[in-house]
Amino acid sequence: MKTRHIFLIFIGLSLIQLFVPFQMISSKESVLRNGVPYKFKTRPVDPTDPFRGKYITLNYELCTAKTNDTLWSRNDDIYIKLQTDSLGFAKVEEVSRSEFKNSDDFVRGTVAWGGSKDGTVNFNLEFNRYYMEESKAYDAEVAAIESVRDSLPNNDTYAVVYIKEGNAVLSDVIINEMSIKDYVEK
Amino acid sequence: MKSMNSKLIKELPELVSNKVISVAVSEKIAEYYARKTDQSPNKLMVIFGVLGSILIGLGIILMVAHNWDDMAKSIKTMFAFIPLLIGQLAVGYSIIKKKSAVWKESSGTFLFFAVGSSMALISQIYNIPGNFSSYLLTWVLLCVPLVYLLKSNALWVLNLVFISYYACEYGFGSQHMPLWYVVILLGLLPFYISKIKKDNASNLVGVISWLLPLSLIITLGAFIKTEWESLPYLYLLLFSTIYLLGNLPFLANRQLRKNGYLVLGSIGTIVMLLLFSFKWIWKESIININPSSEELIIGLVLFLISAVTFKCSWKKIKKEGFNLFLYIMALFPVLCLIGTTSIITAVIGVNIVLFVLGLITIKKGIDQYHFGISNYGLLILSSLIICRFFDTNISFVFKGMLFVLIGAGFFVVNYLMLKRNIKK
Repeated sequence: MKTRHIFLIFIGLSLIQLFVPFQMISSKESVLRNGVPYKFKTRPVDPTDPFRGKYITLNYELCTAKTNDTLWSRNDDIYIKLQTDSLGFAKVEEVSRSEFKNSDDFVRGTVAWGGSKDGTVNFNLEFNRYYMEESKAYDAEVAAIESVRDSLPNNDTYAVVYIKEGNAVLSDVIINEMSIKDYVEK
Repeated sequence: MKSMNSKLIKELPELVSNKVISVAVSEKIAEYYARKTDQSPNKLMVIFGVLGSILIGLGIILMVAHNWDDMAKSIKTMFAFIPLLIGQLAVGYSIIKKKSAVWKESSGTFLFFAVGSSMALISQIYNIPGNFSSYLLTWVLLCVPLVYLLKSNALWVLNLVFISYYACEYGFGSQHMPLWYVVILLGLLPFYISKIKKDNASNLVGVISWLLPLSLIITLGAFIKTEWESLPYLYLLLFSTIYLLGNLPFLANRQLRKNGYLVLGSIGTIVMLLLFSFKWIWKESIININPSSEELIIGLVLFLISAVTFKCSWKKIKKEGFNLFLYIMALFPVLCLIGTTSIITAVIGVNIVLFVLGLITIKKGIDQYHFGISNYGLLILSSLIICRFFDTNISFVFKGMLFVLIGAGFFVVNYLMLKRNIKK
């Protein structure tokens, strides 16, 4: 193959290599700008990713839903339509195996276990990773535990998630009405 | 070779003064060797260039992994693209200017890690939950074409390592089949085949002859989704296929250390046969085995590869005489069939096969005056005896005598070979 052809193919490949991160950014930015923010009560723990560093995994309180479907099995995709409760936190309106056509405010998750006789399904939400500076991730976990233990007023730990047409972007984690990044520095 | 050249160049003035050659010829010779040295790819430079790029690339990824909270999102995003753009410019420059292998290998390796770091940083900024396996897959997919564009050995190896990592992440402990592993591996094979055709003696072909079978051995488990029962059967088939691949005419005449297929295939086959020489594994597995369609496909593919490989090596096999290792692929299914009706017959069969393999290997070692091979044969026999130590009711005196005999065998065989070697 001629050098010119190789170079042209390389230009094409370079554009794809640039397009992938650009696409990642633009889809997330669109959700952050035009999505609806929801608050999800949560509790963080801190694991590590070898390439992307320290993050806290968020265990959400919102993880079960009533359903008449008894055929749910582990790792099935599940779509959760959301609404807010009297305190402003996200709660499940209904669940489905397919996307909701009549609403933008739904998120995707995977079934943890389901199809039980009590008519509930347990699920994991997709947006359960919040990356933090390596020195802060462990402190964040400790801070969240202490916040719950001390029963402080306004001690809710929750994640702020923007949602648009089933896409969700985790924007911040709040402890005692403060961003977790600032809270651990306190 | 290089020291020979420099020796010749040093002697040129003497040759000129003794009027063996003219001054003009001496200058031409000096010029020829100077040009040859410039053109020959400096392997050491390539290795250092690639190592440097790997270290810089990994360093960037580690710095990215710190997750700089104090930086604004826009600055972080910019940092996601800077290494990527630098890598692309360096690769583009080395293609268009037809730079040396050092340039291509180093810039390609740097770009490989820049792609990974770019995606990692954006995942952090937007807390993208995508699991680790999908991250690895996107990374490799974006970099596989670079292998062919740059004709880069280092990128071939990196892509193989990362796609194996992906297969393990995606396949183990889940119900998913890492099919992309197969697709990308097939995509990488033409480059490997062209390397074998062009320069079979090269170090890269030697390195790949270890890495490729290792990758297959590690990732096979990621494709098994049912209970464990079919796993040992498939592994035995895989090891014997790998041994057959190592016996292909263009690979078999390499030194053992440059033929990982042969070494890994042989050791793996022996280990699996030793496992099947116990009654319990047959009892546990052959009754409960219920292979899924995917496992049957894997078994069939292994058979097919073995059959084609056997056919390609047929002339060599005929010339070299009987080698039982080559027939395990055909023999083992027969033993399995026997095992479905009489487990004890199958167990005795496996023990006989192992015993014969040990004897054949010792004989081969003696014939080739190869201490390593003959001792490997003795090791097979002693392993077989050690295994029988645990599950037979023969008396301790008899077991002790067997051990003494095999120990004496080690001494005698090595002594005889040493004696023959000295005589020779």
